[in-house]
Amino acid sequence: MHPAAWFAWLAGAVVAASSTRNPLYLVVLLLIFVLVVEAVRSPNVYTPIPVAPERFMLFIVPVSALFNAVSTHFGDTVLFSLPDFIPFFGGPVTAEALVYGATSGLLLSVLFAAFAVLNLAVSIRDMIRFIPRAFYPVAVVISIAVTFVPTTLRQIQKIREAQAVRGHRMRSLRDWLPLFMPLLVGGLERALQLAETMTARGFASNATPEKNAFTQVGTVAGLILVLAGGLLRMAWGEALWGNVVIALGALVIGGVVWQMGRHVTYTTYRRNAWTARDWMVLTGVAVTLVVLFVFSDRLARYYTPYPAVALPVFEPLIGLALLGFMIPAVVAVRGYLESVQVPVMEGQRPS
Amino acid sequence: MTRRLLSTFIYVLTSVIGLLSFIYPFIWPETIMASAVHGQAHSADAPLMLSVLIGLCFVALLLEIQGDSVSTKFIALLGVLIAINSVLRFMEVVIPVPGGFSPLFFLIVMTGYTYGGRFGFLMGALTLVVSALITGGVGPWLPYQMLTAGWVGLTAPLCRPLVRMLHAEDRWPEILILALVGAFWGFFYGAVMNLYFWPFAGGSADQYWEAGITLADTLKRYAVFYVATSLVWDLARAVGNTIMILAFGAPTLRTLRRFQQRFTFEYVPGVSEVA
Repeated sequence: MHPAAWFAWLAGAVVAASSTRNPLYLVVLLLIFVLVVEAVRSPNVYTPIPVAPERFMLFIVPVSALFNAVSTHFGDTVLFSLPDFIPFFGGPVTAEALVYGATSGLLLSVLFAAFAVLNLAVSIRDMIRFIPRAFYPVAVVISIAVTFVPTTLRQIQKIREAQAVRGHRMRSLRDWLPLFMPLLVGGLERALQLAETMTARGFASNATPEKNAFTQVGTVAGLILVLAGGLLRMAWGEALWGNVVIALGALVIGGVVWQMGRHVTYTTYRRNAWTARDWMVLTGVAVTLVVLFVFSDRLARYYTPYPAVALPVFEPLIGLALLGFMIPAVVAVRGYLESVQVPVMEGQRPS
Repeated sequence: MTRRLLSTFIYVLTSVIGLLSFIYPFIWPETIMASAVHGQAHSADAPLMLSVLIGLCFVALLLEIQGDSVSTKFIALLGVLIAINSVLRFMEVVIPVPGGFSPLFFLIVMTGYTYGGRFGFLMGALTLVVSALITGGVGPWLPYQMLTAGWVGLTAPLCRPLVRMLHAEDRWPEILILALVGAFWGFFYGAVMNLYFWPFAGGSADQYWEAGITLADTLKRYAVFYVATSLVWDLARAVGNTIMILAFGAPTLRTLRRFQQRFTFEYVPGVSEVA
């Protein structure tokens, strides 16, 4: 799939997850995202996620529920009370606080799972390629850093071996110095060599982002709009107008980014192709968001256990719409099945 | 002159927006109350909106900080130092370390102090990006981490006047001052990072705010929340930063300064060549 389709999927997933606190919808979203994680995870390739989303959920939901229960003393259904002399935690422990804490943990797990999909599905190179052209120097720095990480790890191993041969042993904090200093000095020497190589290959002659007074005025104007929108939301509670003004500010800053990156040359060895599968994913996300924000009641997505805990409402239309996020899993499984060669038996016609 | 003025405007505006995004629950608690009680859904999208504000702030600041022309030496030096720092963070993921201790702040403070705020900001922000990419840690928390870690590097050179005033260059008080900076950011990084989720993580706003609550009361509640939930975690980070700077600070500073002379080397044509 095209990285842009993944980013669109992620944006839709984050917006959908952030728009609800109903635990039933959150569970549906979590199940879908875990399924997508499993579908895009390749057993033969290094998977850069430290914790599986389901494990993260098993940890964060109880911790969040417990912490909220002992630190928040609101709600009608009192389970038991902690002594008042305990600062912050003393007071009644309520079922409402327990449920709210669990819901918060669930929301965090859903967001974690959505980003886990991105971390698995989009390669580091593709992520760097998505950095806007205006940030060309930053993208080059990130590229260099990512490329030098394996080199640095190898360097650490070499320094360790060299110091071990000299009888170096790790007994105290000071013993890290003979490992760290050669690493730093070696790294800086490599940086000098790299700079000379880059200059020799004509890096400096590349077009750099065009920054002038005009783009600076645009940035200032965009920031003033963002500040005004933020104040409308935060100070005066005008959420709708605040959002509109912030969006205007974002547009102006986006325009500056586009203008600054216009003259930066962009070359690519292999271009990612946008296929019918990407359109399917995009359509799924669009349909889900339209159903969520146009055809369903805002209150149907909202849930709070306060003041007295009650069962959340489940609207089948919303539940069905959320399945739109599952299309990448279907696409990935279909792609896998297509890639598996089916052996053809003798005398049998291939279908 | 005009461009310098505009540049100052950008720094001031991004600082104001970033600061307001973090501290607005203390100044306008009633807005959160109202949105939680009446607007309902707005309280759910507030963290998302704050992420957008912080993200836009970061984009504007990065546009300004990355500068007009970037030399190959600057890019190569930054890239390699970020790689070393990201590996240090990668080791923190592999080897269990106490609490919030992270070795990555050491190099951010040292390079920010030696090579300037611009370098320090990029070092802090981009270390977080690269380490997130290699450890699969890209998430909604990343813009906040980038901005806050960038601030660590950006503010590190602020202690230079104090060092100059005490005539402490290349002497132990300089390392002591840097250790204090490390300790301060050990606590402050945690306190700032808490702020983006604090008003929303615990539950509805009335758990933390009441109608007519004063700024002092809100700060007191946050202080209790911070002491109860984060103090020990951040203490490990502050102690770790201090120990690392005290133990490795002096030789690192000497090395960075030695290379600074080599990296700022410029070729100036002689009179005979020009002629």
